[in-house]
Amino acid sequence: MVNETLSHFHGGLVLRHHKKASCEQPSKPAGLPDYLVIALKTNRGICPVPTISVGESVLKGQVIAKPEHPMGCYSHAPTSGIVTALDHNPTASQDAISALCVTIQPDGKDQWVEPADQKKPNTREQIVEQIKQAGIIGLGGAGFPTHAKYLQVPDNNTALSRETTLIINGAECEPYISCDERLMLDHPHEIIKGTEWLLKAADANKAIIAIEDNIGGVKKRLSAEIKKQKIPNISVVKVPTIYPTGGEKQLIKVLTGQEVTSGQTPYSLGIIMQNVATAKAVYDAIELQQPLINRVVTVTGESIAEPQNYLALIGTPFSHLLKLAQCKDDVDKLIIGGPMMGYAMPSADIGIDKTTNCLLALPEVCTKPEIESMPCIRCGDCVKVCPQELLPQQLLWYIDGNEQTNDLEKAREHHVFDCIECGACSWVCPSHINLVDFYRFAKSELTYLDIKKAKSELAKQRHDDRLARLDFIKAERQAKRRSKTSKLADKSSAKAEISAVLARIKKQSEEKADE
Amino acid sequence: MNKPYNTSSAPHIPARINVQAVMLWVCLALVPATCAHLYYFGPGILIQMLLATSSAYLFEWWCLTWRKQPIKPFITDLSALVTAWLFVLCISPIAPWYVAVVGMFFAIVVAKHLYGGLGNNIFNPAMVAFAVILIAFPQSMSLWLPPSGLMDAVSSINQHSLNLTELFFLIFNGSASTPIDAVTAATPLAAIQTGLQQNYSLSEVIENPIFGNYGGLGWEWIANWLFIGGVVLMYKKIITWHIPAAVLMTTIAASTPFYLFNNDVFMSPQQHVFSGGIMLAAFFIATDPSSGCSSFKGKIIFGAGVAILTVLIRNFGSFPDGVAFAVLLMNMSAPLIDRLTIPNPYGKKPKID
Repeated sequence: MVNETLSHFHGGLVLRHHKKASCEQPSKPAGLPDYLVIALKTNRGICPVPTISVGESVLKGQVIAKPEHPMGCYSHAPTSGIVTALDHNPTASQDAISALCVTIQPDGKDQWVEPADQKKPNTREQIVEQIKQAGIIGLGGAGFPTHAKYLQVPDNNTALSRETTLIINGAECEPYISCDERLMLDHPHEIIKGTEWLLKAADANKAIIAIEDNIGGVKKRLSAEIKKQKIPNISVVKVPTIYPTGGEKQLIKVLTGQEVTSGQTPYSLGIIMQNVATAKAVYDAIELQQPLINRVVTVTGESIAEPQNYLALIGTPFSHLLKLAQCKDDVDKLIIGGPMMGYAMPSADIGIDKTTNCLLALPEVCTKPEIESMPCIRCGDCVKVCPQELLPQQLLWYIDGNEQTNDLEKAREHHVFDCIECGACSWVCPSHINLVDFYRFAKSELTYLDIKKAKSELAKQRHDDRLARLDFIKAERQAKRRSKTSKLADKSSAKAEISAVLARIKKQSEEKADE
Repeated sequence: MNKPYNTSSAPHIPARINVQAVMLWVCLALVPATCAHLYYFGPGILIQMLLATSSAYLFEWWCLTWRKQPIKPFITDLSALVTAWLFVLCISPIAPWYVAVVGMFFAIVVAKHLYGGLGNNIFNPAMVAFAVILIAFPQSMSLWLPPSGLMDAVSSINQHSLNLTELFFLIFNGSASTPIDAVTAATPLAAIQTGLQQNYSLSEVIENPIFGNYGGLGWEWIANWLFIGGVVLMYKKIITWHIPAAVLMTTIAASTPFYLFNNDVFMSPQQHVFSGGIMLAAFFIATDPSSGCSSFKGKIIFGAGVAILTVLIRNFGSFPDGVAFAVLLMNMSAPLIDRLTIPNPYGKKPKID
């Protein structure tokens, strides 16, 4: 499945890394903040049902929300304390969208809940179930529920002898972010162990840990750990540092030379991909029986005096981490994620969620563009860098052209839905057009129009069905009447009919008399 | 810390380049060829530059005001300078003053702003201007100066006697102290055409000393410098290799059969490549992004089309050079080519089984 020689994806960017500053020291614990705001909703918009109420005290690791939907995920209390609120708050996601959050006031004891005394899982199903119970979602950024990836694996996978490859994604291609690199340096043992469990869950033959070729020391450390644990089917592969090589589709192309068919999951190629931090979370869940309640977050940027990776509890407010890293007060943008795809947050009171890999605080000198956006000159720089091989400037023409050119359907024809929103086009645009914004708009607008169209089509179908039904009833009635009149036209049958009616009346009147 | 943070969307770090820098690089890439022009054909180009640039900016400013567009970003984007510069490299250094003014009117007002301004032009503004001039003032386009190496051979009067003052008179007044015919010479392509019309064979025509080793004397060096400027643009990633390669290769490929068929009538491939506007078109005109194709396949088709049309017009048309018309015709076809060459994105490649 995986080629000896690496392939490459189209386009991409070579960016300045800015990673060194935050990655020099091992990650430090962020400690207990004054309060924790835990968003229940996952990135996929599915909200689990809270199992606690305001005023209740919770223990560390206690389930605070249970999913109803198969794609939902569990939430656990990151520390012991009292639930002080269960309400809507801005969350660490795109546009800081408001969602149901649990606010916990820590009591400082950090007391664990009684462990459920789970045995080490033996079967695939048990592993997947434990992953689900631990509330693990993809920690790389997209936040896809981890257990759901393994539901695709058929039970008779071994019988089918289908080759499956597990790719552990350690390619952090966005500048500034170093949490995965730090994790691989600090916890190689846990990552390799977690990978071993995932191998079992995926029924996979081998695992590849992909890392970027610019991070020193990581390959050595992981390889030594693999040797120590004697797991020959895990290998570490260095991939060229080209943004966005850490994107799922791009990494698969680099490692295998194959492309995931549009609209399908990597499993169609026999590939399951997980982030390194997810592998570590799986280790915690199975070996230590600890649910996912913390993660490594990079706190960095030109406004941060001491860039550092922190092991922070889920729900830790940004402000707590910024204070630890000695944030200056010249922050213009506070970004979760990296500078290419991250979301700028309106305030520092929001709590981190499971997918928050980086807090990037940038002063105005780093963010301000030197000129406002200009019209597209169709230079084609965006075409050159697009890792999905789209025509970004054509898309813009159809989305934000003039009245004659605007046509979202044309944008669909030009594959707007294959855009991965990596921001490479926006970054290279000499006219400084925020192209990705337009594609996001087009995607949501098209999705909305599709739903609307489906609805109206359904309504039209119902209306047509109703008309057909009425017509049918009418026709039936007419047919009945016609058969009656035709019967009366014939004299003998008319007589028989009349006598039958008379007999019926007579019978009825007799019955009445009897009463 | 209390003021709300800036929440504009990603990317959060500034872009690597801007429109102004792109245009500036195009101008810089034109400098060597312009110097060569200056060396071979005298300071006339400087006067034309001044004329074209000032009228271009005047029209640009007027159009922006009239269209109620922000003046500063568009005036400083240098695109009008690029248009004027490309136009000047096409016209005769002794063309009368109104040539540059009329040309820039059509380039900036008609080709650019009537179509919606920067980035929205369907036709390359410099080529629109040049085509208009070719049709409206054919006379002025046929009057070129002989290259400086020929001062004694071609005209009885030394070309260098045409000093700046005389050039000014020639351009603004239409007259000079010396008779015009005495100081002018035809362009190589025009010489070939008139020569052929007078039933000379091509080999006889190119014995004329205005021809050099492989193109026109002087012209071939301007073409070389344009090539070098173009390579710089490719190195700076302002243009891709697709269009220049397609134009040059196709010019050679399309002219070779004609040449082999009858080299008395049809020019040799190197004559084609190093004469007239083909080198300028390959690197600076056909690569104009707004009026060209955007996909890589489309760019190659576009470049090839420009080359084929140019060769056909040169060989069979009534104009000595056909680059301007070829570019304009291909500009028209660009949207169609783009529609037919939408690349298959990642994950939508046709399966080869």
